[in-house]
Amino acid sequence: MFRKKNILTIGIAVLSFSFFTSCEKYLDVEPRYVEDAENYFNNKGDYERALVGAYDLLQSSFIINWIGEIASDNSIAGGESVNDSEGLHQIDAMNHGGVNSELRNVFRWNYAGIARTNYIMEYKDKTAFTGKEIILGETRFLRAYYYFELVKFFGDVPLVVDKRLGAEEVTKIPRTPKAEVYQQIEEDLKYAIENLNWSNPIKGRTDKGAALALLGKVYLYQDKFNLAATTLDRAINEGGYSLVADYESLWTVAGEFNSETVFDVEYSGLEGGGYDCFICLEGNAAPGFHGIRQYDGPIYGDGNSYNLPTAELYNSFEAGDPRKDLTVLDIEAFIAAQANPGDINYAEGGGGHTGYYNNKYIRRLDETGLPDPDLTSPLNYKSIRFADVLLMAAEAHNRNNNDGVALQYLNEVRTRASMPSISSSGSQLTEDIWQERRHELSGEGFRFFDLVRTGQATQYITGFQVGKNELFPIPQVEIDLAGGNWSQNPGY
Amino acid sequence: MALFIFFLCPALLFGQTITLSGKVTDSSNGEPIPGVGIVVDGSTNGTTSNFDGMYSIEVGKGDVLTFSSMGYLTVKKTVGSESVVNVILTEGKTELEEVVVVGYGSSTKKELTGAAAVVQGEELNKLNMPRMDQALQGQVAGVTINTNSGSPGGSTSIRIRGLSTFGDNDPLILVDGIVYDSEGLNALSPSDIESVNVLKDGTAGIYGVRAANGVILITTKKGKAGSPPQLEVSGFFGVQNTSKQLSVLNATEYAVIKNNAFTNGGQTPPFSNTSLGEGTDWQSQVFQSAPLQSYNASLSGGTEKTTYSIGGSYYTQDGIVGLDKTNFTRINGRANVSVKIAPKLRWNNVLLYTNERRRVLPENGIGSVLYNTINAYPTEPVRQNSEQYSYLELVSDIINPLAQMENTYNEARVNKFVGKQELVWDINKNFTFTNRFNYNYATVKGKTFSPLVWYGPGKAQNSAVNEDLDAPLVEIADSVFLERGASVYQNKDTYVDLTFESFINYNRKFNEKHEVKGTLGASIFNRNGEGLNGTAFNIPNNSVDFADISASQASGGYLNQTGAFNFQERLLSAFLRAEYNYDNRYLFSVILRRDGSSRFGANNRWGTFPAVSGAWLISEESFFNSTFIDFAKVRASYGISGNDQIPNFAYRALLNGEGVYVFNDLLTNGVAIGRASNPDLKWETTHQFNIGVDLRLWQSLDFTINYFVKNTNDLLFQPDVSGVLGTYGAGGFPPFVNAGDVSNKGLEIEMGYGNNPNRNWVFYGSLNLTTLKNKVVRVPDGVDFIPGASFGVGGNTATRFEAGQPIGYFIGFETDGIYQTQQEIDNSPVTQAGAQPGDLRFVDQNGDGVINFNDDSDRVKLGSPIPDVTIGLNLTLRHKGFDISANIYAALGQEIIRNYERQQPYANQLDYVIDRWAGPGTSNEVPRVTTGATRNNVFSDYFVENGSFMRMRNIQLGYTFPKRWMENLNVQSFRLYVSANNMFTVTQYQGYDPDIGNFGGPLSAGVDYGFYPQARTIMGGFNIKF
Repeated sequence: MFRKKNILTIGIAVLSFSFFTSCEKYLDVEPRYVEDAENYFNNKGDYERALVGAYDLLQSSFIINWIGEIASDNSIAGGESVNDSEGLHQIDAMNHGGVNSELRNVFRWNYAGIARTNYIMEYKDKTAFTGKEIILGETRFLRAYYYFELVKFFGDVPLVVDKRLGAEEVTKIPRTPKAEVYQQIEEDLKYAIENLNWSNPIKGRTDKGAALALLGKVYLYQDKFNLAATTLDRAINEGGYSLVADYESLWTVAGEFNSETVFDVEYSGLEGGGYDCFICLEGNAAPGFHGIRQYDGPIYGDGNSYNLPTAELYNSFEAGDPRKDLTVLDIEAFIAAQANPGDINYAEGGGGHTGYYNNKYIRRLDETGLPDPDLTSPLNYKSIRFADVLLMAAEAHNRNNNDGVALQYLNEVRTRASMPSISSSGSQLTEDIWQERRHELSGEGFRFFDLVRTGQATQYITGFQVGKNELFPIPQVEIDLAGGNWSQNPGY
Repeated sequence: MALFIFFLCPALLFGQTITLSGKVTDSSNGEPIPGVGIVVDGSTNGTTSNFDGMYSIEVGKGDVLTFSSMGYLTVKKTVGSESVVNVILTEGKTELEEVVVVGYGSSTKKELTGAAAVVQGEELNKLNMPRMDQALQGQVAGVTINTNSGSPGGSTSIRIRGLSTFGDNDPLILVDGIVYDSEGLNALSPSDIESVNVLKDGTAGIYGVRAANGVILITTKKGKAGSPPQLEVSGFFGVQNTSKQLSVLNATEYAVIKNNAFTNGGQTPPFSNTSLGEGTDWQSQVFQSAPLQSYNASLSGGTEKTTYSIGGSYYTQDGIVGLDKTNFTRINGRANVSVKIAPKLRWNNVLLYTNERRRVLPENGIGSVLYNTINAYPTEPVRQNSEQYSYLELVSDIINPLAQMENTYNEARVNKFVGKQELVWDINKNFTFTNRFNYNYATVKGKTFSPLVWYGPGKAQNSAVNEDLDAPLVEIADSVFLERGASVYQNKDTYVDLTFESFINYNRKFNEKHEVKGTLGASIFNRNGEGLNGTAFNIPNNSVDFADISASQASGGYLNQTGAFNFQERLLSAFLRAEYNYDNRYLFSVILRRDGSSRFGANNRWGTFPAVSGAWLISEESFFNSTFIDFAKVRASYGISGNDQIPNFAYRALLNGEGVYVFNDLLTNGVAIGRASNPDLKWETTHQFNIGVDLRLWQSLDFTINYFVKNTNDLLFQPDVSGVLGTYGAGGFPPFVNAGDVSNKGLEIEMGYGNNPNRNWVFYGSLNLTTLKNKVVRVPDGVDFIPGASFGVGGNTATRFEAGQPIGYFIGFETDGIYQTQQEIDNSPVTQAGAQPGDLRFVDQNGDGVINFNDDSDRVKLGSPIPDVTIGLNLTLRHKGFDISANIYAALGQEIIRNYERQQPYANQLDYVIDRWAGPGTSNEVPRVTTGATRNNVFSDYFVENGSFMRMRNIQLGYTFPKRWMENLNVQSFRLYVSANNMFTVTQYQGYDPDIGNFGGPLSAGVDYGFYPQARTIMGGFNIKF
């Protein structure tokens, strides 16, 4: 009796033992209610949703807006103290180095955008459907956009195309020469131009005109003036763009999506956000950061007093140029002009004070997002607008010895600003176009890169060292994480 | 199969049995002793004495019976021809016979071949700490426990034998065999604990893939067979105060310093008059005296067939910051019942119920209440008028801490049922078959109310648009606006763990000298978790009275949000332990466990974890002849175990990132990869070698020494990766990888002394000492190091994971005093960009004549957060009815980074800046103050402090009333005591509390972000047994 029981029990145990160890299926736990990255892209909707994710990183453009201005002669870093956003202060003083969290963000965020486009491209052939070339065209436009930011900032950067890297692989990847990265950018944009329509029914999505304008800009940055001129001409002649009459309306939410819009980075104030995650924001962090510190008065909201225009910029405008006060806010003059100046208060930040504020991207009381409103402005970033396209085209034609067309484009921009036409030529015209770029586009994050591109940086930026500051340093920690084999940019 | 036959064959042999009976009595008074455990050595056959001390048991001739009972010396009797054996037990403490739970079985200290430690629940409970792990600090060599937060219900970090991994270093915690997360330890009442066993070495490998960080086995209180019902009631009441206030500047000092800083920064000094008196002492406004109290009642006993232990307890504690706003309250119920339902079948039921509520204020880091308290400037009054708190307008990211506390409302309630249903079948005297079903069911309900608040112009924490608390407007369609008012966030999460375990224990002795034990079993584990949460806006009246989603007035669901999560994980295991004991002199044990975990991909799902151990009881040898050594044992073990502590599905990429963009002015949801995948991910493996010696001298002094080498390979972690991988978009994370090796080596010494308990003066003392050398052996290929915690806000990192150094060691610039004059700077052979008189002088480590701030060439190791030595000391002295005891803990040789100072022009500062450099010769330690740009805030040894400390954790004085006074009252014993926790700390550290854990993972250990200090508590309590 006992023995039988023993044997039975042990038999059961043995059976269950072998049963458990062979029961692999029990461990096949599948994630629930979430899609797996490798089993995706089964229909058009999947591609579209992945594309939304790829657009998301455009919203990091506030940092380009800051650095493009602060690094230049247009503005100082400002803010609460020199220790607050120390990286911006170092860039302002041109003593930035390999430890700089702002530059690291530029590096990380643009690569995040690239990875999301590459994820779509990795699976581009998985499912066929009509209209796929448009989705891929937008995808490649975005990839070009992100890579262009990276070469602007850092020069040679690792080129990853149509695949995701593994954690091991990423420690062995070298920096790719800038020329090769530019080649990829051009290819991507050419594909976009071929496949996108002149307009996209969905506001915020890119189109052929934007791709042409960006490609023209990419050519211009490489001094390929002939290609830049022809490419930008196409955008100008076939894109149906025109300058809006009212320059002021360009800088309001109400005035968005106008005939001058070539490519906007879209923002919304409908989702709040905090300082713990800037890349999670759906709003534009720049207007609040540019806002007047502890301001209490009409029209404007309070803000963090960053990216403050210099007196030199303000005074550089030609007499009577209406863009002067629409670009730069002279706070004392503004307050004095109000009905009750005595009731209006504001504070000067410990990080510096010029008396001027960026009047294009600034927090206004009627354009405020959900808390924290300093970070969630619904105001779009005008990445490419038609005036910029005209001025780039003017420069390309001028440098390509075609001053006639150059003058025509330049004066179209000046006329809108009620400024008298210019009739110079040659290198004087080049100077005039550059000057016009500053007055038309300052505060928009282009100045530093324009100065570098045109070789004028050392002339205008205090502390700028030729042969070094044309590029920003690769963040040291990124060099370390990529295996430590990259050489730093020269001079750093 | 071969092993089975090995077990099976001896089982086929049965000896002749006889029935033995007798009575067990107390040597001091001749009274019968109920509940004495009577076990046949080398078998699972056993019984207990009944209420009258009587027992009866079936035995074979020549069997050895062991009689044991708590508080009595164990007696052994060999069965001869007589059928009645009466036994007399003497009171006393016999550590060697102490039962050690080793996982699917038990052993005694004497027979143990691995390194394990036992702490009695009584010892822990006595300290009156809300959490078992807090009480465990300093009790066991090799177990380091740090507090992550001093707030009521705050967690700790438990490290067994050092930091061995980059990720989760928490040990596996099992309560009566049921998995109990260290996170959830809040729910366990120390008063329910009978004993705590810590498995430290390779023999923990019986728990396989989860054992690499060590295993803590907690046994809850059970009744004893044949013991009369005993009711125990206890309680205490205490008052807590902060153990420290930081020395910050008062208003006058503040004004002087700030004027100086602004002048140095080339700005107008802000204070024309610096005679501003003391100003506001924010800390004394924020810290308050807070009460705590606790009551327990417990009833236990048993008949021959049924034993029971039921109990209930109540604990409530307010915080020294925020009082009721940080209250922690816990109600526990316990019902442990065991019934012999058939002669050979026992049913065991364990049920532990917890209802717990915790409220918290923001703590640890920028934005926490204490951060705001330290940095709020003293020239600001607390209130600007009778209705409004002041705004601290000069500093944008610091808000009034009192307003912050008033506006914070949250609580989390946990309801938890933990228990098991177990059937134990004593098949015969050699085999026991155990089947059990364990469950751990918890619901967590959270609620956070966020009223419309206004902390002052420009504050990031404002949710209203102005001082009148007007709600912000949301444009839901062209020119259609909705007000967004106060909101409430609610969540309800449910976690269910189910484990089924089945195992056979075998025990048999043959030919007098050969004892064989075996355990063979299997276990299936399944965990499900799911949660639902929502945020509802426009709570009426901006009032917490209506703080519930049901009260939301938000129209049409335009504002309200919902969320949910869901997961499942599984573990499948088989395990085997075979032990052989030759003549109580040579002991040998083998463990083998095989685990399959759903946390890993199909190609790396299964792991095998072996361990071997052995011991030699030298004192049992015939040649051993010592007058003072009563017991001597040498043991060694080697084992491999695993760590699977990573999130589910870390091996694959899921589309759970955040891909949201704005199309047609609407937020449009897309998809993005969350964590990058790594299909080759596998568990990390710990290889541990241990050698130890156990000694007992002069019948009173116990020694245990262990030396261990613990190497952890293929560390699982989620390091910062190159941005090129593209994982730093919203909702994106770097992949988990297996990379890096870590080594821990250490020496553990435990000493215990206890003199004869029958003397007039009774003294118990125990000392434990642990030394630890932690070293990273390998970092991922191609990477020099992994950067860790950031310092300040400028992108500096201060800690690293780097080969040849301890985990999370500190790296930065070494300073060499302060530049006193411009001439000194000019004449210096070293160029330090931007240096001015009064600035820190950094050391040019590589001798190239330049301080390079952009790379590592001038950075050196500045310290390590890991103590060289930790020491725990427990002392108890009894005389007549009086007892006095003390518990002291010391950690020596570690450093702490001071990272709670906000370098803002108007933020308040610690008062050491009074001794700043203010002209040649004024200071060579504290640099000048300035609002201008300076390198003084780069991470250097200026911010590193000695973190060594010694703390009087508990001291208490008790009085037990004489028995004869109590007898008439039907009371067995009655003790009153006064007790103090955290009475004093000896340290040079300037921050609140040097006993800081690692709030943000191993690489932020030792970085003080504005730590919530542990309170000093004075308590009075009672303990009555009926």
